[in-house]
Amino acid sequence: MTMSILVADDDPVIRRLFEKRLQDAGYTVKVAVDGIEAAGYLDRSHFDVIITDLVMPGDIGGIELLQIAKERDVLTEVIVITAHSSIDTAVAAMKKGASDYLEKPVNFDELFFRLDKIAQLRSLVRNADDLRNAMDVTESSAAQTIQDLEIAAAGFQLKLDRIDDILRKSSLSDYERIDKALQVINE
Amino acid sequence: MIKITPEELKTITKYIHDICGIHLDASKKYLLETRLSAIAEENGCGNYQELYLKAKRDARKTIEKQIIDAISTNETLFFRDTGPFELLQHKILPELIDARTPRSALMKTPIRIWSAASSTGQEIYSISIVLKELLGDTSKYSIKLLGTDISESAVTQASTGKYNKFEIERGLARDKLTKYFTMTGGFWKIKDEIRAMVNFRKLNLMLPFSGLGKFDIVFCRNVAIYFTLEDRKKLFNKIADTLEPDGYLIIGSTESLTGICPRFVPKRHLRSIFYQLK
Repeated sequence: MTMSILVADDDPVIRRLFEKRLQDAGYTVKVAVDGIEAAGYLDRSHFDVIITDLVMPGDIGGIELLQIAKERDVLTEVIVITAHSSIDTAVAAMKKGASDYLEKPVNFDELFFRLDKIAQLRSLVRNADDLRNAMDVTESSAAQTIQDLEIAAAGFQLKLDRIDDILRKSSLSDYERIDKALQVINE
Repeated sequence: MIKITPEELKTITKYIHDICGIHLDASKKYLLETRLSAIAEENGCGNYQELYLKAKRDARKTIEKQIIDAISTNETLFFRDTGPFELLQHKILPELIDARTPRSALMKTPIRIWSAASSTGQEIYSISIVLKELLGDTSKYSIKLLGTDISESAVTQASTGKYNKFEIERGLARDKLTKYFTMTGGFWKIKDEIRAMVNFRKLNLMLPFSGLGKFDIVFCRNVAIYFTLEDRKKLFNKIADTLEPDGYLIIGSTESLTGICPRFVPKRHLRSIFYQLK
């Protein structure tokens, strides 16, 4: 399944570069000029991965965008792009849930490698989800069958107990006991 | 990965049964290898016979704990299978509160619930969330919730009440998540008001239940399936002893007590079953 990627960067040259390289690699790409526009896109569509510059003009920087994205869907992976001088901020972003950071200038081989890892992880998660769903279906269908059997078995046990009682009643003749026991069986 | 020999398979499966009651047959060879290989290596053992002997000699039982942690299944979810929790909320708790509310307004209504294989706490916390949702103000009640598990590390995780996104996202609705958990350092942590309702302790279901007291409701779901028929019979008989005469037992949705414990009768409510003493 093609992953959809949202790129947020205020540098038009970098934006175009990301768009082209990611599209060429087969990803579905949307670009945003800053955090505010990116947040707007998040309102309307779902993205598998967000690649965002840490420092952008306006109220929504990379960290804020990361938080907004994680609130929308914890499974959205966020890769932050950072200048070498601000590695500390990138580490802070990782602590807040970013899956990775890349230093500027972005090495695309490295980026594609990270995206492949994310795709693999997502496919494993999806696989586990599918298995759980399949298990849930099997389980709930088995549960209904077992419930029916359980109730039926309890009903039979009750009948057996009553028949046992009847057959032990010494006040009745053999014929009466058999007759009453048969009545219980045929109820 | 260290391969297990047929003799070792016999020794190890018997040992595992002795320490925690989990019954593994020869078909679980691969599972044993994948789960125990690292423990053997970590303890400097080249094979499983060595690991077994070392575990038996270890007075502090460190290796035994490692083996129990590795073998016991901790896969569980908040509100796993909604049936039991709907049953609790709409049938069992209202009935129980009716039966238990004291005549005097000064006295509190006791509610005692036990999650017999609480794993990492999801079940008992789900129960406390149901209680909180149903009762609102819990000050009129004397609530005792107990979670027990054979695995010490599961008990520890349950006690901290911290869960990662994978452990939490499924089963738990967004509104309940934000109402009863707080996000700290990438983890979701159960709020103190819910945490404070529950006690956890380590317990081996194969051993006598000492000092547990009596319960109004017992949850024992999806754990007896790992036991032999004989061990299941003993377990549910002991559970019957811990239950109040009008108490409730809930087992896993695909489990059955037919032929296991004649002291219980199944009762159906909507799409779920619960058990009461005869």
